[in-house]
Amino acid sequence: MATQQVEAGAAGHGAEPRGKRGEDGQATYLIAIAEALWEEMERDERVFMLGEDIGVYGGAFKVTEGFIERFGPERVMDTPIAEETIVGMSVGAAMEGLRPVAEFQYADFMSSGFDEITTVLSRYHYRAGVPLPVVLRGPSGGGVRASSFHSINPEPWYAYAGGIKIMCPAFPSDAKGLLKSAIRDDNPSMFLEHKWIYRRIKEQVSEDPEFLVPIGAADVKREGSDVSIITYGAMVHKALEAAEALAQRGISAEIVDLRTVYPLDEETILRSIEKTSRALVLYESYRFLGIGTEVAAVIAEKAFEHLDAPVVRLAPPNVPVPFSPPLEDAFLPQIADIEAAVDRLAGW
Amino acid sequence: MRRTVATKVEPDAETAGRPLPDDRLKEILYFLKLARYFDERMEALYRQGRLPGAIYSGRGQEGTHVGVAYALEAEDSLFPTHRDLTAQLTKGLELKRVMAQFWGRIDGYLRGRDGNSHIGDWYGHRTYAVMSHLPIAYPVACGAALAYQRAGSGHVALAICGDGATSNGRWHEALNISAVFRLPVVWVVNNNQFAYSTPNAKEFAVPTIAERGAAYGIPGVRVDGTDVLEVYGVAREAVERARRGDGPTLIEAVSLRWRGHAGHDPAKYVPRELLEHYMLSKDPVKNFERYLKDQGVVTDEDVANIQARVDREFDEGHEYALASPFPEPGDVTKGWWVEDGYWVGEPGRAGGTEAS
Ligand SMILES: Cc1ncc(C[n+]2csc(CCOP(=O)(O)OP(=O)(O)O)c2C)c(N)n1
Ligand SMILES: [Mg+2]
Repeated sequence: MATQQVEAGAAGHGAEPRGKRGEDGQATYLIAIAEALWEEMERDERVFMLGEDIGVYGGAFKVTEGFIERFGPERVMDTPIAEETIVGMSVGAAMEGLRPVAEFQYADFMSSGFDEITTVLSRYHYRAGVPLPVVLRGPSGGGVRASSFHSINPEPWYAYAGGIKIMCPAFPSDAKGLLKSAIRDDNPSMFLEHKWIYRRIKEQVSEDPEFLVPIGAADVKREGSDVSIITYGAMVHKALEAAEALAQRGISAEIVDLRTVYPLDEETILRSIEKTSRALVLYESYRFLGIGTEVAAVIAEKAFEHLDAPVVRLAPPNVPVPFSPPLEDAFLPQIADIEAAVDRLAGW
Repeated sequence: MRRTVATKVEPDAETAGRPLPDDRLKEILYFLKLARYFDERMEALYRQGRLPGAIYSGRGQEGTHVGVAYALEAEDSLFPTHRDLTAQLTKGLELKRVMAQFWGRIDGYLRGRDGNSHIGDWYGHRTYAVMSHLPIAYPVACGAALAYQRAGSGHVALAICGDGATSNGRWHEALNISAVFRLPVVWVVNNNQFAYSTPNAKEFAVPTIAERGAAYGIPGVRVDGTDVLEVYGVAREAVERARRGDGPTLIEAVSLRWRGHAGHDPAKYVPRELLEHYMLSKDPVKNFERYLKDQGVVTDEDVANIQARVDREFDEGHEYALASPFPEPGDVTKGWWVEDGYWVGEPGRAGGTEAS
């Protein structure tokens, strides 16, 4: 992996504290997420958190470190290992006016609450008109040698259920602004935090408590004219690196960061295709029926007359994320793969 | 606490009043020492940044792991968790192939597809390849037990999970179904008093896990998980009971997790005095060694020989693991379907190192 070599023990979760903003005001993705939670807990006392080891321990990745001291165990609830009930209890609490934010130790374990998510959380409002302002959040994604059960990108499973807004931010500012929006939103949402990004990416992040990023809006992270790379999550960072290399060779790639994967911001995607006429859809969920499948379909359906080349998808195969470093590297799209795909597209 | 299962195997004249013949007691000591040494050395390598991925220490819980696995016959199956590598080693997994898995090598039992203690060897040693979601193997153990019951094979499935995992719905579903169908299964809960940072009191509101057996109509027994012979006795009794067709038993083996949840966790939430008490007076390895010495079963020299064997096996395993090649990256999609034959053929080996 060209971006950064992951060392031993990097399965993600850490003993290290979450850390603080730098003097220069820069915040990591991890800190930005913690700030969003903190500010919304301060702003609205109906907001509370529940999950495994989030209180005394501060969460497996230390996102909620220090929260129990400030907000107390009623609002920072350490729960037993009971995902179905964590979700179901969140639903019930929301029905009675609370605004739960449930943490999953890894997004992989959301599947242990699958029925309450896909049957209840996703469908209740449509059937019975009761809003469910529930946020489910957890670390997702691979590239940290954490293998099958600590690396999943579960967004397509839950996007398919419908009724749940799903966010997969790539940058600290987007993470902070989107999470705050999700907590304020009256609909259910799922907020997936890419663990590869947690401590690696930092930037200037707003300290304005009213700083929000709209849900359902994509963002062009790099302007370009030859090829559009439509992507999200950790792949945005790989795409940016690839775009740098491509620029050296005179190919101009535009990078569209979806930020929210459901519902999709079709307008921003289509606007970019109108400009570049070529689309590479890059995503870390599985190739077959992953998020990019839908993106590719939207482009094929709605931008056909603008395309100079067939839409290309680049994504992992539909197999579990493997542990062995050479296997995981072969599994995940790499910068060289992105460059090769763009080269192919640019050749049309 | 009501005990419905005898806790000690009846001693007889041949074993001089001890529950097992001397060679088997020595073998138990070997497994205990192997587990302890492996755990310590792997942690050191992890700390030095020489081991990729994660480690989940089973230190302090060796009595439970060796005790229950030793109660199984080769044909019985074991359904463990991330914490229970010692049980898999006791069931017979080869150390060197376990170590190859930790380093992501092709000669690991799962051919590099998973790491650390997320391991298993179904066709060889009848152990289920650990999956993280807790306690995801419990329902599966019911299925294996059902097959044994149908076939009248007399085999038994034994599943282990932690205290924390008993809070999960499928734990209760599995116990209930196993009781309804009187399945030949043994349910072991390794109560090491913590689920990551969460103590028992925040996981469940009953005083003991064992008494939950009553809710399903099966016997529940609580044992000292630091006493390998006590665990062995209870487990053996439960296995025989299942084999006879008398249904499942729930065993709660109590010990303490000496180390953090995983390699990164300093476990500051474990009370100092509790940890010291367990390390000083309830060390399953030391206590058993002392017992065998007191009984005259082993001499200092025997113990030194066992330790030397363990040292040597670790070093050989380490060497073997590092010499084993990585999997062939092009094989990443193979093995998804039975028809591609990946798991019945020889795997691809990436260039570079050769297996010894
Ligand atoms: C369904 C599920 N939720 C969360 C996790 C994350 N997790 C891994 S181990 C662990 C604690 C397990 O505690 P316990 O069952 O007591 O087993 P121990 O690790 O102490 O052996 C947790 C919460 C998981 N593996 N599965
Ligand atoms: Mg435990």
